[in-house]
Amino acid sequence: MTESEHGGAMAAADPEHARIYWNAPTREDDIEGQIAMVERVANGGAQGLILVPDHTSALISPVRSALAKGIPTVILSSPLAMPPGDHLFYLLNDEVRGGELAAERVSSILHNHGKVAILGIDPDISGITTRARSLKETLARTDPGIQIVTDAIGSFNVPHEQQMAEETLKAHPDLDVIVALTAVSGHGALSALASSGNTHVKVIYYDPGDTSFDDPNLDSMILQDTRSMGYDAVRIILASLRNQPIPPQKKFEPTLVTRENVNSSKVEKLSYMEWRTKPLQWTWSIGP
Amino acid sequence: MRMPAKTSRLLVAVSLSAVVLLILAVIWLHQHNPSRGLPYRDTFSQGRADEWTAFGGTWELANGTMRNNSDERGAKLLTGSAQWQDYSVEADVMLLGLGGDAGLTIRSSGEEEGVDAYHGYYAGLRSVDDALAVGRADYGWSEIIFPLKPRGITVLASQWYHLKLMAVGCTFAVSMNRIGDDSITVATVNDPDCIPAGRAGLRSYSSGGVWRNVIIQKATQQDLQQMFSRQHPPHAVAPKSESQSSNLVVVPPLSQSNIPQALPSSPNTQPVSSLRFSSLGESKTATIRGIVALTSPVLVVQDSTGGVEVRCAQPQPLKVGDEVEVTGQIEAREFSSVLNNANVRVLWEGTPTPAVSVTATQAATGAFDATFIEVSGHLLQKHYGPDDTLVFDLASGSQSFRIILNRGRGNSLYKNLALDSMLRIRGVAVMDPVYTQGTVPFALLARSSDDFEVLAGPPWWSAGHLVLMGICLLLLAFIANILYHRIENMRVQAVAEEREHLAYDMHDTLAQSVAGIGFQLEAIRMNTPEELRHVHRQLDLASELVRHSHAEARRSIDMLRPQQLDSKGLLSALMHTAEHLVQGGNVQVIARTVGEPRTLSLRLNDALYRLGQEALANAVRHANPGTLQITLRYDDDTVTLTVSDDGAGFNHDAEAQGFGVQGMRKRAASIAATLQITSTEGSGTRVVITAPLAPRLTLMRWPSQLRKLF
Repeated sequence: MTESEHGGAMAAADPEHARIYWNAPTREDDIEGQIAMVERVANGGAQGLILVPDHTSALISPVRSALAKGIPTVILSSPLAMPPGDHLFYLLNDEVRGGELAAERVSSILHNHGKVAILGIDPDISGITTRARSLKETLARTDPGIQIVTDAIGSFNVPHEQQMAEETLKAHPDLDVIVALTAVSGHGALSALASSGNTHVKVIYYDPGDTSFDDPNLDSMILQDTRSMGYDAVRIILASLRNQPIPPQKKFEPTLVTRENVNSSKVEKLSYMEWRTKPLQWTWSIGP
Repeated sequence: MRMPAKTSRLLVAVSLSAVVLLILAVIWLHQHNPSRGLPYRDTFSQGRADEWTAFGGTWELANGTMRNNSDERGAKLLTGSAQWQDYSVEADVMLLGLGGDAGLTIRSSGEEEGVDAYHGYYAGLRSVDDALAVGRADYGWSEIIFPLKPRGITVLASQWYHLKLMAVGCTFAVSMNRIGDDSITVATVNDPDCIPAGRAGLRSYSSGGVWRNVIIQKATQQDLQQMFSRQHPPHAVAPKSESQSSNLVVVPPLSQSNIPQALPSSPNTQPVSSLRFSSLGESKTATIRGIVALTSPVLVVQDSTGGVEVRCAQPQPLKVGDEVEVTGQIEAREFSSVLNNANVRVLWEGTPTPAVSVTATQAATGAFDATFIEVSGHLLQKHYGPDDTLVFDLASGSQSFRIILNRGRGNSLYKNLALDSMLRIRGVAVMDPVYTQGTVPFALLARSSDDFEVLAGPPWWSAGHLVLMGICLLLLAFIANILYHRIENMRVQAVAEEREHLAYDMHDTLAQSVAGIGFQLEAIRMNTPEELRHVHRQLDLASELVRHSHAEARRSIDMLRPQQLDSKGLLSALMHTAEHLVQGGNVQVIARTVGEPRTLSLRLNDALYRLGQEALANAVRHANPGTLQITLRYDDDTVTLTVSDDGAGFNHDAEAQGFGVQGMRKRAASIAATLQITSTEGSGTRVVITAPLAPRLTLMRWPSQLRKLF
């Protein structure tokens, strides 16, 4: 949902005539690329930095370097392993609540009886490990009858995640639910289920790129409020530049998106992809 | 009618300015010509692609095609002018993997590495939703998805498609057809607030891709309409491409439905490092699992324990980053192994191996043979190698090594890399003598020019820079010398002017007053009776004193105001002085010039005149000569003034240190001249003043001047 995040940032920047430079490395796991990008921006005269870190600890030094230059920095979604304060702010997804949402959904599907696989754990991103821990703890507390058969380390590679899902399905043919902690892992799981023809297993996955429910195995998605994060991040940067008081950390509650509420105004607002403040006025036709 | 010089100079200046402005205008128009460089057709088949600039990806030429093996999101390769406006770009496009898209960009500008880091338009074939995606990037992405015709057609990997993207005004048209298929998908998009101009390019998102037959040409409204109304694909491009890329490995197209099942890897796989010792003395087959680190000129697969060269039984379209399982016969080599007659199975793609950072000495041990490494060194030499490769010789400490790169897009890198630059290069280390030629311990096979990173340019104290600095210093010294002499001349000129002013003052006041006193004394004497002899004697004495004072005053005025004292007038001024000194006597004055007269500085002229004047006065005053000779001799780098007489002479030892001579020596020293006085009693006196001159620089005299300098 980077477009939503971008849209939020643009919506906050436009009335203030602030200019947004928006970029990301061409590989999601390109930590060096992200570090180089942060350094380039910090050395290029930017007045603020908004970062969705690819790694919990590897981005600490470049962020410290930006802070040392007096650049207010807002970390989105998942925290770094350093405390906020001194122009460093966190706008985080409430991963504990995210874990609880998935646990509640699993509970409503399985009613304290069944098998669950957790895929896509990324130890590099603390938010993902937090949501995994919260999911497991909540399930253990509320539905001790549900068995978690595997919790697999994931990657940002769809074929790899597909293979992991296929291996899990082969090892546990009586699996009921897959909870994929990333969108890549979710796509891999859905592809594995589609190629195997399995319609029994339900998939819940986090951070979807869009909210379409075309796949019959897809049960629900857990969506971050990235638009609000992007909006607030720019507001924080501007407020920091004006020396206004800002709370160092804020958490945004994620939303469970199901077939039932996908068309609600709340979900439509969360998943609105337009990032331009003035949408393109395109007209098109297909010929001949 | 003759034009005044000032007007003429003004006209010349205006004309020159007009010419310069005209040239600048022509250059500007050329640079901003929206058709500059069009039409364009790629030269991939000739192994040339210098005009393309990469932003991400691993772009390389292979068998007449441009190939990006990387699964990066939004790797771009751009060419052309930022001023291009209405034009079309078309090419044959092939996706290398599924789960992404590949296509063409148009009117692109402000490109950087990054996902959507450019301003421009893109049309690409997308395998995820089997569609044609058309969109605009402004460091963010907006798109429209068009379904393909006929309905149900899928976008496959390893399948050629022909894609054309056209921009005319604010209308964009895109067409796509599978090569060999008559069905064509055409769509138009109108963007009222469009980007008016920009470059053309190739781009892929996650899938990697191959491009060939890239044609860029001007487009008109008519072309746009023709494209939109076309029902069948053009046939001009495809036939050539098939023949050109006959060596290209094309395997049956992969789609989501027929993609090889991602089975668990074989349980019998072994680490790559174990291959070398598991086949000692016998032929063995082994299975390894690893990641493709290099595809050309050899296929190298690497796991966490090392790398192995793989020689496939059948050619396969592998990409860097593919995770593969390889089964083949082991051939152990000194530092690594080869898997011959190998079968390669792609497990999944898009997991490129990061380079291991090592020192040149570590790489030279062979421990990293067939491994993707990163190493730094100074560029010693570069040259073209066999098989259209570029070879760079580097050194790091006491180690030397070699980088080998397929020429392809490396030509511009080859031209731009300065010798002695500090480089960091990524590539697969090989110890094979085929690459090292036995001259270096290891070679590095770089995948593309993007694997080169210039850490620092050559040090500034290179031979060229030192020579340049020497020339600059010489020029500065020359300018300083000119300025010094100009200031010195101005000073001497000011002194001369002040002296002349004094001379006029003395002439107009003192000399006139003395002359007036003389007249008054003469009048008194005329009116004094002859009987008063005593008074007459006193008046005569007073008149004599006045005459003497007048003569002294005139002499001083002459001393202060040299007549026509320039280089031509020096001799005549001295002659005039001599004639004045011997006026009424029986002394012959001879003056002559020897050599080609040169312009003398005012300071030198003045000093020589004073010295000559003093020498002449001394001769007349003390030697009672019959002849006075004044000679001015010009040589290449000296001027010599000689004043000689045939008078009484003097005892050199006794009188050479007199006050007058000391003054002459001091004055001679002030112009770095030598003063030589030779005299013997009864044989006259000879005064020689030799002053240095700036060497006369002519083309013929350069060698002798240089010899003197060094």
